[in-house]
Amino acid sequence: MVDRFKGVMMVVLLVAGVAACNSASNQGAVVPRTPDGNPDFSGIWQANNEAHWDLQAHAARPGMITQEGPYPYDYARVPAAPVLALGAAAGVPGSLGVVDGDGEIPYTAEAAVIKQENFDNWVDRDPELKCYLPGIPRAMYMPYPFSVTQGANQIQMGFTFSNAARVIHMDPETTLPPDYTYMGFSVGRWEGDTLVVDSNYFNGRNWFDRAGNHHSEQLTLTERLTLQTPNVIQYQVTIEDPAVFTRPWTISMPLYRRMEPNAQLLDYRCIEFAEEFMYGGLRKEQLVKRWESETMIIDVTRKVPPGDRLHEWYRR
Amino acid sequence: MSKIYLAGIIVLVGVVGVLQLPNVVQHLDAQSEESAVGPAPTTAWGDPDLEGIWTRDAEVPLQRPSNFRDREFFTDEERADLDRRRAEIIARDATRERRESNGGGTAEQDVGGAYNAEIYISHLRLGQRTSLIVDPPNGQLPELAPRAKEEHAALLDFSLNLKRATEVCENDLPACRGGEYNPVPWEDRDSTPPFYITSRNALPGGGGGVVSRSNHPEDRGHGERCMSSTIPDFRGFRRIVQSQNQIAIFYDTGQGQGWHRTVPISDAPHLPPHVRQWWGDSRARWEGDTLVVDVTNFSPKSNFLGAHENLHLIERWRRVDAETLEYTVTVEDPTTWVAPWTAVQTLKKQEDQSNRIYYEPRCHEGNYGMAALLIGAREDERAFEEGRGENPALKCLGACGGFAAGYADEGEDANPLR
Repeated sequence: MVDRFKGVMMVVLLVAGVAACNSASNQGAVVPRTPDGNPDFSGIWQANNEAHWDLQAHAARPGMITQEGPYPYDYARVPAAPVLALGAAAGVPGSLGVVDGDGEIPYTAEAAVIKQENFDNWVDRDPELKCYLPGIPRAMYMPYPFSVTQGANQIQMGFTFSNAARVIHMDPETTLPPDYTYMGFSVGRWEGDTLVVDSNYFNGRNWFDRAGNHHSEQLTLTERLTLQTPNVIQYQVTIEDPAVFTRPWTISMPLYRRMEPNAQLLDYRCIEFAEEFMYGGLRKEQLVKRWESETMIIDVTRKVPPGDRLHEWYRR
Repeated sequence: MSKIYLAGIIVLVGVVGVLQLPNVVQHLDAQSEESAVGPAPTTAWGDPDLEGIWTRDAEVPLQRPSNFRDREFFTDEERADLDRRRAEIIARDATRERRESNGGGTAEQDVGGAYNAEIYISHLRLGQRTSLIVDPPNGQLPELAPRAKEEHAALLDFSLNLKRATEVCENDLPACRGGEYNPVPWEDRDSTPPFYITSRNALPGGGGGVVSRSNHPEDRGHGERCMSSTIPDFRGFRRIVQSQNQIAIFYDTGQGQGWHRTVPISDAPHLPPHVRQWWGDSRARWEGDTLVVDVTNFSPKSNFLGAHENLHLIERWRRVDAETLEYTVTVEDPTTWVAPWTAVQTLKKQEDQSNRIYYEPRCHEGNYGMAALLIGAREDERAFEEGRGENPALKCLGACGGFAAGYADEGEDANPLR
């Protein structure tokens, strides 16, 4: 109880702090600008939070995947077999959450059930594990740097994860709808010093995080990026999806410039990293089947879901 | 509808490897318009402006065709004649008569050649230049270095051994490359390939796949694994977005195998030598009106025409006028070629609106073909063991020819640009 109270107080303080920063933004700090006078977001950035685990406030837990321990209580679970050998390194850090307001995600009753099923079946369902394109906003706060290249008519973002990319069209004439996409179709505009980006045409296959928070192809986003200082972007996203949520909701977080003088994006061609996970069970002879340390033997048995279930597994 | 269509195309990638589907550019039947072209623009901060979507709008072979060894340019008559011959190949259908007349027509040749030449041959009109390669002056790639020869020969041998017992060699089809038929399957057919299998660039043979085996996803090569993109890329589209300190290039290439490249404009040193990357490590600087990019630190798994970790590129990007970007690349790798070589490609600015659709690389997300290939191979093996099917070692599963390489039904000699 006391812990929960503390948590709430920290959220309140954080929100108050952000609000204070917001009111002061662009008044004191001199932010970089392009020759046309707009704030210049070019550079390498990265979120520094736990949103990639779960957008919502959560306590730390002992494993990426857990199972019931000797007690039947949720707070007493233990790491499950897939991550057991990794010890404390497989734990999930707690978080104050990035969902504005009461911290709740306003799922419809049906969508809330899917969210829970997603959480319970994370390994089978999270597109991140298959190295599928991460989608927006997820790509913006995955634990990898991303680059922003601010051109005259487009702003290009390149993400470490899967070498994915998005382009923000600043030319208002780009109105022709493309196909439904993983990364969305983004059109940007300036509201004062804030870059406002409207995105839609999502295919609905992405998640928001590793907790199973999800959306449909009716997702629309309004992102607001404001340079608070030369090295901090205040990032806010309004999320709407009438098929999944009962009302619009927002997340906010700072994004930080990678300050290392030699900062650059490095390849993370995770298609290759996901191959054993995705296809290893279909090799002529199973390759990854047994692993042994001084205290543990892990045996892996692969299985192939029957019929269309296999296709469904790849399709998620 | 278009969603389903795209998904269908992407699934097929898994079966046949990398296709080069043309995006929206002028095709053989379209005339280019001569008009006054504006000067090269500059950015607001005074650098040459490289922004836009760029691709070639004329076909120029990488190497000079053998009939034109001493000629840097085609005559207009020669271009018209070659275009006519290429158009004939493109227009060919894949009727049963046609397939059977060349010793194919079997199920395996049909699968290997699931597409006719239309997809594999550029639909662009020939450009004036006879080769992208300008140095050596004969327009040819320099001779392979001993290491590359060894790799090439060993992989070719491995590939051939896997299909000696198949109809490809039994019927002396072009994909057997004159190799000998042996009805007894190779006893080492499950052995580790002599070198890491990359793509069929190194192993011509036509058809999907690189080697006739589906034991592992790795057997299927980079193309079917959705990892074929590499630099330099002479075929796809590229969107360039430019800021003062870095250039972003998104390559839309290999049918959904595109990737994002951030090029720092920086004199910082390259990555430490032990940090290797699929697409290398780029450092750019301005030399007058030219952006010069030095690329090193490639991975042993990178593959450009058989070059791997020792590849070193010096790219030169120059905005010639409002519509034209000149891309010059000097390729050095003494372990692959006995001398450096240089190619020049003219890229033309494309309209933003009509070229956005293929922009998202979704090969991997739709690669049900990989799972299906592996499951199919396992099912074949099971059926054989249980006496329900033929020996899968007698089946050709990759680099089998068929129509797929455009000329594979007749052999490479039928390529008018050879």
